[in-house]
Amino acid sequence: MLSYMYFKNLYDKKFDKWSLISDLLIRKAVFYDDDELEGDTMIPVTARAEKLMSNKHFRKLLINEIMSAKRSITGISADNLKHLYVQLGLDKYAFSNLSSNKWHIRAKAIQELTVMDMHEFVDQICTYADDKNDLVRMEAQSALVQFNGFEGLSFLETLNSPISNWHQIKLLQQLSQLPPANIDMTSWFTTTNSSVIIFTLKLARVYQRFDLYYEIVSCLDHEDPAVRHEAIHCLNEIYTDETSDDFISRFLNEILKNQLAMIKVMETVGTEKDVLFLLDLLTYENDEIKISAARALVQSNKNGMVSLEEYSLKAEQPINEIVMHIKGEVAA
Amino acid sequence: MSWQTFILHFFTYGILLYSIILLICYVLIGAFSISETRSYLRKNSFTDYRMLASSSETPSMSILAPAYNEGANIIENVRSLLSIHYNNLEVIIINDGSKDDSLEMLIQAYDLYKVDFFVNQQIKTKPVKGVYKSTNPVYRKLIVVDKVNGGKADALNVGVNIAKNDYFVCIDVDCVLEQDSLLKLAKPFLESTNQRVIAAGGVVRIANGCEIEGGRLVKVHLPKQFLPRIQTLEYIRAFLLSRMAWTKLNGLLLISGAFGAFDREIVINCGGYSTETVGEDMELVVRMRRYMEELDEPYKVAFIPDPLCWTEAPTTFKILGRQRNRWTRGTIETLRTHKVMFFNPRYGVLGMLSYPYWLFFEFMAPIIEFLGTIGMIIYCCTYAVNWSAVLILVGVLCMGILYSIFAIMMEVLTYNQYRGRKDILRLVGVAILEPFVFHPFVVWSAIRGNIDLLRKRNSWGEMTRTGLATAKKSS
Repeated sequence: MLSYMYFKNLYDKKFDKWSLISDLLIRKAVFYDDDELEGDTMIPVTARAEKLMSNKHFRKLLINEIMSAKRSITGISADNLKHLYVQLGLDKYAFSNLSSNKWHIRAKAIQELTVMDMHEFVDQICTYADDKNDLVRMEAQSALVQFNGFEGLSFLETLNSPISNWHQIKLLQQLSQLPPANIDMTSWFTTTNSSVIIFTLKLARVYQRFDLYYEIVSCLDHEDPAVRHEAIHCLNEIYTDETSDDFISRFLNEILKNQLAMIKVMETVGTEKDVLFLLDLLTYENDEIKISAARALVQSNKNGMVSLEEYSLKAEQPINEIVMHIKGEVAA
Repeated sequence: MSWQTFILHFFTYGILLYSIILLICYVLIGAFSISETRSYLRKNSFTDYRMLASSSETPSMSILAPAYNEGANIIENVRSLLSIHYNNLEVIIINDGSKDDSLEMLIQAYDLYKVDFFVNQQIKTKPVKGVYKSTNPVYRKLIVVDKVNGGKADALNVGVNIAKNDYFVCIDVDCVLEQDSLLKLAKPFLESTNQRVIAAGGVVRIANGCEIEGGRLVKVHLPKQFLPRIQTLEYIRAFLLSRMAWTKLNGLLLISGAFGAFDREIVINCGGYSTETVGEDMELVVRMRRYMEELDEPYKVAFIPDPLCWTEAPTTFKILGRQRNRWTRGTIETLRTHKVMFFNPRYGVLGMLSYPYWLFFEFMAPIIEFLGTIGMIIYCCTYAVNWSAVLILVGVLCMGILYSIFAIMMEVLTYNQYRGRKDILRLVGVAILEPFVFHPFVVWSAIRGNIDLLRKRNSWGEMTRTGLATAKKSS
């Protein structure tokens, strides 16, 4: 333990020195005077720094610092950093790391090339979009979106591996930085990969793709309950006068979670014609269905509260507490 | 060989064999822990939690915090919970029939008013007297529930009934959470694609001696008092080694009641927290796992090594004894309730590995250690000591110390919360002292837990705390 602490102390001191050298190098690149750095122009690098480039620990430190700086700046300074990255041959190290046996090295290399805007490696990165390792896959997919925007999502057409909810959030976040594009997504609805359909539904919802309404409704009949759930959620944003009928016709065959989701969406899509259906739900044994139906009744109709109170007076099972609860919600 | 010699040998070598198997388990735990922690840290280096914080796609979460006579610090504690970074969040404080003025204080501090609230009793609980919300939009996340006293498990069940989100996080109201704790805890639920994550836990650390301001942890210090300091080591060992190793094997049976996230749907399907045990946290996880095994659906109980929650450790032997007594009773009750899983291949890792480990090395270890100590005293008195066996036992003891030092090493290599070299050396000192000073007391408390259970004494045991709001002053 003591020897570990001793060596760690020595390493920390060396690390501090290296930090200074890499900071200096990055500062020099960021504030480099030449208006336009041509391909063969060299940013001055000290002999000490050049010698250290053969040390993989120093290289790791320098790459991390360059990436960190590149993430926080744009314009000429960012281009200068990219120039420095290529000048030091760091792109070649990253390229060779792409074929490493270790997943974290491959993932890191993809991340590095993405942050450094190395478009020329897109084709190589593309081959990792369906990698068996989830982190490598995620980094490759993010890279494709980073380089090609919405067009980069074309990997979805052939993707066999699942996209986790975490990664879906990340991709949506990346896409939110770009101007919306009306890409063709219809083929993604027919894939056998449920996570791709779920992600497509999210895209349709976020980008208000009303043109995909019938594809979305068709997902209500998908065999995977998670796809059906996302389709219900999506119809909260993209709906027509027929949406509530689409729900009602499928309601009895749905699992409880999706039934509740349908009732929730009916708060938005429900109309006068759905009152009888919602009143009928108040006779269900499940209290969660009752309270959701009461809420939908009130939210979707001007006279919903009146209908609910009238029903409450003649109901076989007392629902006074539910009525009071809904009244409280409306008042708040 | 006379029967006395046979008994002597059986006893001596039996305990020796047990110790050696336990040691092998520790070595395996260490190896699995290294593997899991390394994998987690590598994956985490690609993670940007800010992305989740700003996304509207984050899963909704409810914090459930039962409170019983917490009047001294409840206002600050609730403020701390309300300040946590998370998009879709509700904070539910359940006043479990407190005898003090906790509720009145909350009403006044957070402008609460009583609302008409229909409580859907998906899990049967003691009656709810009232549900309160704030008139101040700043506190719109807050819901306070006043109920008839029924214990922690009952209070949590009320919270589960009232929560409207897909996941809930149960915490002790006096704990201090890291600001990004929920973002980190949400990740396992989001990243799994082939297994349903039914629960997730994070590391709980000792807050005694730390600087806390406005309900937030400002600076970490090693506790100055002996008992909290020794518990710091104990928590590092338990969370960084044991729980990480069991996570690797997908065999984790315990998520601390002080801080854990659960899939609400599965909890309701399982019937919620059991009010029949004092170890409701462990019992729920075991029941959820058993439920998933019986459904034959792929699932996972996740655990992350990030220090997310800081809690106050007992500072006196009296309170510590009560806590350990209760933990022992909780373990036995849980194992007894789910005895059908014992070496039952139907339950996979849960039945073949986790359950037997807990039975042999968590429940039985203090009993065997206690009997061994008594036996050793008798041998010494009768001059029948087998010195080679004693030497091996000393070796086992040294290995125990080494295991603690290994845990400290893991801490230094990973999260390194106690940065000062002096603090690390102090922890090493504690690791050397622990087997002689602290451990015998823990064993004795566990024995008392066994006795209390046999006598059907199943009280929770009052846990008096000085309060973390005062931690800064005490440091």
